[in-house]
Amino acid sequence: MISELYEFKKYLNKEGIFFCFSGPVSQELLVEIGAILKQKIKLEDAGNSTAIRVFSMVVEQAQNIIHYSAEKCPKPYPSKAGEEISIGIIAVGYENGHYFVLSGNMIEKEKVSRLQNKLTGLKKMNKAELKKHYKEQRKKGPDYGSKGAGLGFIDMAKKASQPLEFDFKKIDEKFSFFSSKTVI
Amino acid sequence: MENLIIEATKYTPSVKFDAAHHTLGISGESYPENISEFYDPVFDWLKRYLGGLPEHQSVTANIDIIYFNSNTSKVLTDFFRMLEKSAAQGRQVVVNWCYDKENDIALEHGKDFREDAVALEFNLVQTSGRT
Repeated sequence: MISELYEFKKYLNKEGIFFCFSGPVSQELLVEIGAILKQKIKLEDAGNSTAIRVFSMVVEQAQNIIHYSAEKCPKPYPSKAGEEISIGIIAVGYENGHYFVLSGNMIEKEKVSRLQNKLTGLKKMNKAELKKHYKEQRKKGPDYGSKGAGLGFIDMAKKASQPLEFDFKKIDEKFSFFSSKTVI
Repeated sequence: MENLIIEATKYTPSVKFDAAHHTLGISGESYPENISEFYDPVFDWLKRYLGGLPEHQSVTANIDIIYFNSNTSKVLTDFFRMLEKSAAQGRQVVVNWCYDKENDIALEHGKDFREDAVALEFNLVQTSGRT
């Protein structure tokens, strides 16, 4: 790896990625990523609202990893929040005048088609339809299997400047790898 | 009835519910990992408070949240729904949604919530000079 680390960094630079994390994703990590991002984005004077937009994508994507990743490792100190930490990957970059957030995690094979349908549906909606869908879903309450309000992807789609990109890669008989990209 | 005071943390807001002065304040940021762990006690207090409100008592809610995640959005919807019910019973219930002038997302969310307000008096209050 040592001899390839430079190539890996060059690759990240080429893709416009200025922050990348692969490993256990926790709420505490999220707070730290937020602080780093807000600092960097505000420094580059994109304005307070861009920093908040980028941060909100990071929060939604990271909390999806925390709640839904099929890959876990044990916590060194079990807490009220659970005994395991979720594993995933998060990256933040800048390209063609826009910030973007990438995230990825393993998911159980059975969850792929429902998620795929949901995201495909969102991709087809315009801003007005997304707003309407968001409000309806918010009043309704969470879907079966949702650990939150079921609003995360809709919220991201609403805030993004382009339709959400996503991909499912089959890993083996039990798991796939889900990746998504949001552009601010 | 006792007041509800919860200090802010890095990812949960400060909650200052004053039963004597009938003011409900929520401010800071809200993106806890476990939304019900934080908000269930808040809603329990609110149910008791609103359930015991005299017929013509006015209530003011001051909401000043810089950033909140999508789970919190559902919580806020439920919060406003409870206040709306109280207002529909003939009380004056005011919501002051505060937002920094550079925070257009907070403003957008405020307008969104205001659209659903019927008996609630929902004000958008611009603040400035936040560092």
